[in-house]
Amino acid sequence: MAMAQQASAITKAGALEWLGRLMEQAEVIAPVAGFGGDTVFSPLRSPAQIRWDFENPLHPPKQTLLPQTDPIVSIQRDGDCYEVLPIYDESPRVLFNIRSCDVKGIAFLERMHAADPPDASYLRRAERTAAISLSCVAPCASCFCICTDSGPFLRESYDIQLTDLGEDLFVEVGSKKGEALLAGSQDLFRAATEPELERRRELEESARRRFGEETCHFASAMRRISTGRVAEALWAKMSDWCLECGGCNLICPTCYCFSVKDRGSDGRLVRCRMWDSCQYPAFTLEASGHNPREQRKDRMKRRFFHKVSAQYYMRDGAIGCVGCGRCVKVCMGTTDMPAVVAAIRKGSWRG
Amino acid sequence: MAETSTRGNDVFLPWIARIEDVRDETPDTKTFTLRFRDPEVMREFEYAPGQFVELSVFGLGEAPFCVASSPTRAGNFQTTVRRTGQLTDALHLLGCGDEVGIRGPFGNGFDVTAAAGKDLLFVAGGIGLPPLRSLIWNILDERSRFGRVTILYGARTPTDLVYKYELKEWERRDDIEFLLTVDRSEPGWEGNVGMVPILFEKTTLRPESTLAYVCGPPIMIKFVVQDLLMRGFRDETVISTLERMMQCGIGKCNHCAIGHRYVCRDGPVFNFRQIRELVE
Repeated sequence: MAMAQQASAITKAGALEWLGRLMEQAEVIAPVAGFGGDTVFSPLRSPAQIRWDFENPLHPPKQTLLPQTDPIVSIQRDGDCYEVLPIYDESPRVLFNIRSCDVKGIAFLERMHAADPPDASYLRRAERTAAISLSCVAPCASCFCICTDSGPFLRESYDIQLTDLGEDLFVEVGSKKGEALLAGSQDLFRAATEPELERRRELEESARRRFGEETCHFASAMRRISTGRVAEALWAKMSDWCLECGGCNLICPTCYCFSVKDRGSDGRLVRCRMWDSCQYPAFTLEASGHNPREQRKDRMKRRFFHKVSAQYYMRDGAIGCVGCGRCVKVCMGTTDMPAVVAAIRKGSWRG
Repeated sequence: MAETSTRGNDVFLPWIARIEDVRDETPDTKTFTLRFRDPEVMREFEYAPGQFVELSVFGLGEAPFCVASSPTRAGNFQTTVRRTGQLTDALHLLGCGDEVGIRGPFGNGFDVTAAAGKDLLFVAGGIGLPPLRSLIWNILDERSRFGRVTILYGARTPTDLVYKYELKEWERRDDIEFLLTVDRSEPGWEGNVGMVPILFEKTTLRPESTLAYVCGPPIMIKFVVQDLLMRGFRDETVISTLERMMQCGIGKCNHCAIGHRYVCRDGPVFNFRQIRELVE
């Protein structure tokens, strides 16, 4: 079995040593204590800052790969002439202790940006970024990664997957990038034992059981959304609860819609790709004043069509949701993914 | 130094173009004639009528504009822009020799080959003429390949008509039929008064042999298309070009998405049967 052959183990003290070595080669972004005690993803200043037991931060690590304001073209003015040059960020980075859902979110973004025509500004940064995930042994209450094939443990998409066994970490390597992260630190790792492998399996099984016996509603919602069989009145009712804050888009690991804007002053300008939200009325507003999605219900419909329709599923090979539950936490109007999907299945909305 | 050799294939990097000529069309609309700074880029710039470019006014960003000139006339290209926001305000302040950025061409464009041998009907409203003008000149420059050509054009007032200097030429030509109307007359106007559909009564429509190209404000497109369908045109023979706030031009930013289709890549040209299928 591939996993048993590749699997190794490291003590947590050894992992901090390893982390220190990685920090010499790359910027390491990991969960740390932020202001007020919340956990946030942030560049590590010292290995000891890293958290092993934490609730997944509200902001996913997507900002590492797709910054909110991302410089893509430098525009320089020289008299009456302009020179433009692409801006590439190829700094080496390691995402350490990110969760399975976020690894799947990054895989989703990679697929989208690599699709024809490939987006070099994203791909070059992504090429230099490696992901070390920490599997979820105790999923949060709002999570539903089990419904979206994105957790609590991963079978693919990771560079390295760690599982917390208590004193030690179980280590699985999933890619060439992952192998490269171990190179030079082999002295810190040892082969995993059969009982450790068994313990990892038990942890995965118990994590899965924590989701209970709930049946996933995505399939029936997908059928209705893809064939236009969601009543307009239902969209209208649901969208009455949407406050148009765009929070669901900003914290979603798979949302990538953007606008292009120039920043800076006359002599030195930078063209930036900036996050945008399909829930904002101005997202589709045209210069003429015409707005094809003026109504809130049409914007909400758009968001769920993009995320859950079979048309996009066929294109992307996945739905645009990784079950992280962040929209459940951030939405003040309760129009989060599980609530809307359940309402579509039932054909009714109670708010 | 050739710019082609110094850049990768970055999808967001514009080419530099210089404004060669600016022509006032109406009090708020100008036509810009552009030429790429690098002659090699100009030579390699091939487009179909109906395609669009992302035009940068540096410091303000970019916006999509259709190419209004015909690909049969190489050496430069034109775009006709109404002043209606920050970027177009700034563009209107630029003059000959000033530089802008151009990415593209993007989109599918009109299928000129499919129009060969057919009778062609153009119905344009106001600022909807520029994308059709590209196709019209393409067809007039290769006139013998096509059947009857009828152009119906309307604007709010005589002042709002674009390409007035060319409209006169089209009126004089005897190998096309050209009819003009305005919604509201002005002193000195002796032509038709009324919305574009009144021109259908003044010409002979041949739905069975004709492709109809319609472009204008959304409300005009709606009524013209309804009218054409009632007069016997089939959905597939009524062709329009859609407008959306296209920011990237490459199907990624999602501003122009309708369902899983992207106006910037699958369009902007659609026939009416395809438009009916654009749902989400």
